[in-house]
Amino acid sequence: MGSRLEQKSTLVRKRIEGHTFDAEDGDEYEGSKFGGFSEYFRRKKIKLQNLDAQVRAQSTDKPKIFKGLVCHINGYTQPSLNDLHTLIVQYGGGFIQYLDGKTMVTHIIASNLTPKKKEEFKRYRIVKPAWVVDSIDVGKLLPWENYRVVDEGANQKVLGFANGTMTSQVNRNTHRYKEQSDASWYTGQLKAQDAEKSSVSSRPASFAQTVTPDEEIDEDEYPMPEITSSVERALAEDDLDDDEPMLEAVEASANLLEVRTELETPPPSSPPPAQHIQDTEDVMAQQNTEMTLPETSAFRPREGSQEPDYSMAVVRDSEALRAVSPSRLASMTAEEHNALLLSDPKIRKSTVVNPEFLDQYYRESRLHHLSTWKADLKAQLQAVAAEKSSSQKQKLKKLPGQRRYIMHVDFDSFFAAVSLKNYPQHKDKPCVVAHGNGSGSEIASCNYAAREFGVKNGMWMKRAQELCPEIKILPYDFPAYEAASRKFYEAILATEGVVQSVSIDEALVDISALCFAESGTDGVQRHEGGVFREQRKADEIAQNMRDEVLAKTGCNVSVGIGGNILQAKLALRKAKPAGQHQLRPEEVLDFIGILEVEKLPGVAWSTSSKLEEIGVKLVKDIREQTKERLINTLGPKTGEKLWEYSRGIDRVEVGEQVVRKSVSAEVNWGVRFENHEQVDEFLQGLCGELTKRLLKEGVKGRQLNLKVMRRAADAPRDPPKHLGHGKCDTHNKGIQLGVATNDTAVITKEVITMMRSLNISPGELRGIGVQMQKLDPIRAGMQDPGSQRRLQFKTGQAIKPLHERQISEAKSAGDPIQDDIKTPEKQRRVDFGKPSLPVQVVDPGTPTKRMLNTLGTQFVLPTQVDPAVLAELPEDIRAKLARHLTSNELEKGFENVRSEEEDTRPARSLGFVATALPNQSQLDPSILDSLPEDVRNEVLGFYKSPGGRKRGEQALLPQSPRKNRTLQTTKQPVKRKRGGGLFAGRARSNLHNSDISTLTQANFVARPMSKHLHDDAGTTTEDNTEGEADEVDPEFLAALPEDMRQEVLAQQRNARLARTGGIDLSLHQRSKAKQKKKLFDEEGPLDRLLQLPPRPDKPTFTTGKLSELADLRGAVKAWYEEFSDEGPYDEDVKALSRYLHDVVVDERDISKAVAVVKYMVCLLDEHGQTTQTVQKAWETALDHIKEDVQTACHERGM
Amino acid sequence: MPDDAATFRMLISQFTDFLTVAIHTVLYERNIYPQTSFLSARKYNFAVRQSRHPKVCEWINDAVAAVETELLKGNVERVAVVVYNKGLKPTERFLFDVSRFPPVSFTDVDTPLERKDSGGKIVPILPLIDIEEQFRATMSKLANCGTVLKPAPVGGTFTVAIELKGDGQAPISHPQPWMPVEPILDKDTANMSQKRAHPIRAVAAGDLIFESWIEEAREAD
Repeated sequence: MGSRLEQKSTLVRKRIEGHTFDAEDGDEYEGSKFGGFSEYFRRKKIKLQNLDAQVRAQSTDKPKIFKGLVCHINGYTQPSLNDLHTLIVQYGGGFIQYLDGKTMVTHIIASNLTPKKKEEFKRYRIVKPAWVVDSIDVGKLLPWENYRVVDEGANQKVLGFANGTMTSQVNRNTHRYKEQSDASWYTGQLKAQDAEKSSVSSRPASFAQTVTPDEEIDEDEYPMPEITSSVERALAEDDLDDDEPMLEAVEASANLLEVRTELETPPPSSPPPAQHIQDTEDVMAQQNTEMTLPETSAFRPREGSQEPDYSMAVVRDSEALRAVSPSRLASMTAEEHNALLLSDPKIRKSTVVNPEFLDQYYRESRLHHLSTWKADLKAQLQAVAAEKSSSQKQKLKKLPGQRRYIMHVDFDSFFAAVSLKNYPQHKDKPCVVAHGNGSGSEIASCNYAAREFGVKNGMWMKRAQELCPEIKILPYDFPAYEAASRKFYEAILATEGVVQSVSIDEALVDISALCFAESGTDGVQRHEGGVFREQRKADEIAQNMRDEVLAKTGCNVSVGIGGNILQAKLALRKAKPAGQHQLRPEEVLDFIGILEVEKLPGVAWSTSSKLEEIGVKLVKDIREQTKERLINTLGPKTGEKLWEYSRGIDRVEVGEQVVRKSVSAEVNWGVRFENHEQVDEFLQGLCGELTKRLLKEGVKGRQLNLKVMRRAADAPRDPPKHLGHGKCDTHNKGIQLGVATNDTAVITKEVITMMRSLNISPGELRGIGVQMQKLDPIRAGMQDPGSQRRLQFKTGQAIKPLHERQISEAKSAGDPIQDDIKTPEKQRRVDFGKPSLPVQVVDPGTPTKRMLNTLGTQFVLPTQVDPAVLAELPEDIRAKLARHLTSNELEKGFENVRSEEEDTRPARSLGFVATALPNQSQLDPSILDSLPEDVRNEVLGFYKSPGGRKRGEQALLPQSPRKNRTLQTTKQPVKRKRGGGLFAGRARSNLHNSDISTLTQANFVARPMSKHLHDDAGTTTEDNTEGEADEVDPEFLAALPEDMRQEVLAQQRNARLARTGGIDLSLHQRSKAKQKKKLFDEEGPLDRLLQLPPRPDKPTFTTGKLSELADLRGAVKAWYEEFSDEGPYDEDVKALSRYLHDVVVDERDISKAVAVVKYMVCLLDEHGQTTQTVQKAWETALDHIKEDVQTACHERGM
Repeated sequence: MPDDAATFRMLISQFTDFLTVAIHTVLYERNIYPQTSFLSARKYNFAVRQSRHPKVCEWINDAVAAVETELLKGNVERVAVVVYNKGLKPTERFLFDVSRFPPVSFTDVDTPLERKDSGGKIVPILPLIDIEEQFRATMSKLANCGTVLKPAPVGGTFTVAIELKGDGQAPISHPQPWMPVEPILDKDTANMSQKRAHPIRAVAAGDLIFESWIEEAREAD
C-alpha cells in the first residue's frame, strides 16, 4: 500500500513538522470575510496546528515515538478523542482533525467502523486506540498490524512470527460490540481502581487496553525451535548460540516428562522383540513401585482391545533419535525426521508405514472399538426393537390431545457398574473405567462415589487423580457389557412398549398404549381417576422393569417418565441414581422452569452463552422471550426448538429413526510418512476400509471428502502423545462424484488426486480421514445398482497370482523380525489409482522429491535379481518370482528403455501405447547410446527380428479388446511399469486433460488403450501404414509438403482432443471408423463432401462483363450521356434489352432488371431538356427495353 | 460457422425460417388477421411481426414443415403465399422462386456441401452474415409491400402453395398435406393481362439463391 499512502501523508507530515508557532499575530488570526468559508476553514486548521505545535513544544520530556506519523481519529474511542489527540501530539506525532482525503494521514484511529467505512478504508491503516496507548506504555512505536480494525476477514489465515519462528495463528474475529465495553481503557481503569484501591494514575498510558497478540501465540507445549525451510535453516545456523540453551531446556523438560509417562505393553497381537519386552518390564517394575495400589494385578493397565500406544519414553529411548545431535534434529526436514523416527522398527511397526497398520489400528484402537461396537450393538438392538414394536405401532394411533407416557431408561454409570461386578470390594469406593492409569488415559465411565469427588466422564486420568488420589481404575470388560446390554434390552422389550434404542445402555420406551389399556380410555377423555390409574400403571411398569434388570444384571437402572421424550429425559435427571421419577403434566412447567438452560438436551456452552447475552439463564426465562427473538438469536431451528422445550413441548416421536448421512474412515494416530508412495499406499488402505464400511451400511456415496491434518507450523515434530497428531491445521477437500459409488478403486483414485492437490509434504501429515456423503442405499436384488449403468467386463485371469504375490510381499515387508526393512520398502510402489490430475509436487525442500514417482506402480520387480536375495526368500515366493522374471525379463528391459525415452519426450509419449514398443525411428539415439552395451543390443536386436514387435505386444496384451478394457478397473501391478501406467498418458499429457478428469470419464475412457488397439489392429491387418496413423513417423512427416504436414498434424491434434473429451463407450467399435476417417485425412477431406456443380455464369453486359446493379447504372448513365443529343443506336438498345432479358430469365433477378429500367426512366426524366426527336428516340428505346423485360417476365410465367 | 458443416438441410432450414417470418409478415401487412393480434419481434436484426394466435402459428409451422419436406426432395420450383379476397379470389401472390437451389439428391441432404470457385478456392455455402443481411433487406421490402400494392382486401384469407418442377413427383401419398390443383396451361392468355408483378428481391448468398416477387391481380372489373 506504500506509495499511495505515503505520497500525500509525507507532504502533510512535512508541513506539520515545519509548522512553527510564535505568537497570535499571523494572518490566520484575522477575521474572515463574509462568504469566505474556505478561507475561514483554512485558518481554522492552521490554528489547530498552532495549538499542536504549542503542545509539542511544551512536552519536551516525552520521547518522540510518534514522530513521522500523521493520525486522524474517527468515531468514538477510549480514551477520548481529546486525550488521544494530546497523547499523539505530545509524543511527537501529527494530528489532523479534518480529513481532506484518506491519504492525508498515515494512520486512522478508530475503535470500530461502520460496514461501509470498513469497505472504504480497507486498504488503509486503521488502528485501534490501544495502539497509541500501548505504544506509549512500552515507550516505542509498536507495529500497527497487531491493532488493525479492518482485517481480511475471518477466513484469512494469519501467519504469526514469534521469536523468529513462523507460527500458525488463528485469525480471531474480534469485532464484537462487547470488545469496546469489556476490554476498553476506561473499564481497565475502573478495574484497576477497584483492585488497587488507589487513585487513577496521572498517566493514562500505564494501562494496557488489550492483550498483546504475542501472548496469544505462545501456546505450544514445547518451545522446540522450528525450522521449516532451508533459508530459515541458514538463519538458524547463525543464531545457533541462541538455540543451544533452548534445546537444553527441551531436554530438561523431556526428562521431566519421562518421569510422568510410562511404558505399556504393546498389543498382544504383535509380540515385540525380546529386548523391547525387557525394556517394558523394566519400566513396568518401576511403575509398580510407584503405584500405591495393592491389587495391581487386578488392574492390568491394558486390555486386548487397546491401541498400541507407546509412551514418549520409547521415542526417547530409541537409539536412532539418541544418536542424532539435538541441533541436527532441529534442522531436519519433516520427512527426514520421520525417516529417523521410523528407522526404529518398534516405532515403525506402530505407524501407518506398517502395511498391517490399518487392520491393526481398527482392530485395536480402543475408541474405534468402542464406537463400532456400540454402533453394532445399537444396530442389532434397534433391529430387534423395531421388529418387536412394529406390530404394536400399528394399533397405536396418535390422537390429537392424547396423553403420552414415555419412559427414558438409562443404566447408572454403565461401564463402571458392570466392571464393578467383578470387583465387588470396590463397590462403594470411587472407581472409574479407563484403559490404563496413565495420565493420558481418558475416563470412560465413573461410579457415583467417584462423581462426588467431581470426577466426570471424559476427564483425563491425571485430573481425576488430582481430584481423588485413591481412585480405583477398572479395566474394560466388553463381553460383560454386551451381555448386560442384552439383558437390559430383553427387559425393556418385555414391557411391550414401542422401543427406541438410544445407545447400548439407554432406551426410550413409549408405554402409552399399556397405560391406556389400564385406564380403559383412549388417552383423550378423562374419566374419574383414569389419569391417575394411567400414571400409576406407568410407575408400575417402570418399577417392574428396574427390578428385572437389577435381577438379571445386578445393576441399577434409572427411569424417567414424561409426556414426551424431553420430559422423560428431564425426569431421568431427577431419577438418578437408581430411582425413577414421573413428571406429571401439571408439574412440567414448574419443573422445567427452574432448570438452567444448559440442562435442556441440545443446549451446551455455545447456545447458553448466546442465551445469556439476551438475559436468559433459567428455562423459565426463555418463556419470557418471544419466539422471534429466540429465532433471531439462535437461528430458526434451535430457536424454535428451545421455545418449545421451555414449554415442555417435544414433537419427536419414539421410534423415529435418524437416517445415516455419512460414512467415514479416519486415522489420526501413528500417521508418519517418509514419502509419497507410503501416503498413496496408506490412502488405498484407508479407502478400502471406507469401502468396507459402505458395504456394511449398504450404501453408496456421491460426495467424497478428504480431511487432512497437517502439523501446525508451530507444533513440535513429536507431539506430547506418542505418535499422536498434536497441534494441527486441518484441511478439507471434497469432490462430487456424480455417480454414487463404493468402489475402492474409484475412491482411492479420487482421494489420491485430492491429496496431491493439497500439496502437503508427506512428513507433515498427521491425520487423514475419508468420508462419503450423499449416501444412496444399495437397492436389493441388483448387482450394480449405481445411478448409472456400467458396462460389465470380465476380469482378467492374470490378476490372481499377482494378488497373492502382493500379499506375500506385504507380509514379508511387515515382518518385524526382518532387519533390513528398506529392501522390500523400496519395491513397494503405488498399486493403482493414478490420479487423473497431473499433480506436480513443488517442494524443493523435501528430499523425497527425487524419489517421488507419481506414475509408479507398486511392485516393480528388479530386472536384475540378486541371486543371494532370491535364495533367501521362501520357496513359494521364489518360485513365483522366478517364473515371473523369466517371462517378463525381456519386456522389462524394453520397458525401461521406452519409459526413459518417454521421459525425455513427454509430448510424444502422449500418443504412446502403454506397452507397445516405439518405432525404431523414434528411439532417441542419445538415450540409446547411454544405455549399457548389452541392453542396447537387445533393444536393437528386437527391432531386427521380424516378429519382435508383435511378440512384444502379444506377450503383454490380451487378445481381445474387451479384455483389454478390464485392465483399468482391476489391479495389475506388474503390467504397469514405471511411467507406463494406464493413466500415464493422461497424467502426463497436456493440460486440457485436467479439466475433464471427472470420475466417470476417467473410468470409461481408456485412451491409451484405445490407441493401442488401433495400433494393434493396424499391424495385424494388411495396411501397415494405417497402423502408424496415430503416431505419425517424423520422417514421414518430414517428407510431406509443408501444408500437408500442417494438415496431418492438425488432424492428429483434433483427433486427440476428440478422444480426450467425452465418454466413449464403444472404443473398439469406433476404432474401425476412426481408421477410415484417418484414411480420409491422409487423402484429403474431399471424399465426404458433395461437390456442387459450378453455377452457370451470370449474364453480363458489354465487354466490361458488368453484372452488378451499380455498375449497370453507371454504364447506362454513361451511355445516355454519351448519346443524349443524338439518340441511342439500335444495337446498343438491343444489347441492353437482351441482357435484361437474360437477367430475368437466366439470372432470375427481376428486381435488377426493373431497377435498371427504372433508372433509365429517371435519367430520361431528369435530362429531358434535349430536342424532341432525341427525346422521342430515347423513349422509344426505353419502351422497347420495357417490353423486352415484360416478355422475359412472361416467359417465366408472370 | 465452419464451412464444412453446411449441408443442404441447413440451407433449406435457413430458407424455411425465412419463409415462416415472411408468412407472418404478409399476414400482418395484408391485414389477414387483426394487426393487434401480432407481436413485435426481431429477426435478422429487423423488426418483424409475429402472430400470437396459437392456431395461426401452428398452421404456419405445419405448412412450412410441409414445404420443407418438398424442398428437401428438390421438387419445388416456387413457393407461393396466396392472399384471397372475401370472395376467395386470389388477389396477391407472394412468390419465392427456389428453382436455383443447388441440386442435391434426397440421400445427400446431410452431406456437407462444398463449392469451389473458378480459381479453385473454396467459397462458403452458407455465409451467415450475408444471409442475414440479404434476408433483412428482403424482409424490409416485404414489409413495405403495402406501398406498391393496392389496399389490402378486407376479410381476406391466405394459403401456401408450391409449384413443382416439371419432373417433380407430386406429393400425393398418404398423409397428404398438399392439395393438387390443375395447372393453368395457357399462361400467356390467362394471366398476362390480369396480373402485375412487383419484384421484391433476389437473394443470392452463397448457394442460397432465390428470387421473390409479388404478383397482384388487376382489377377484374
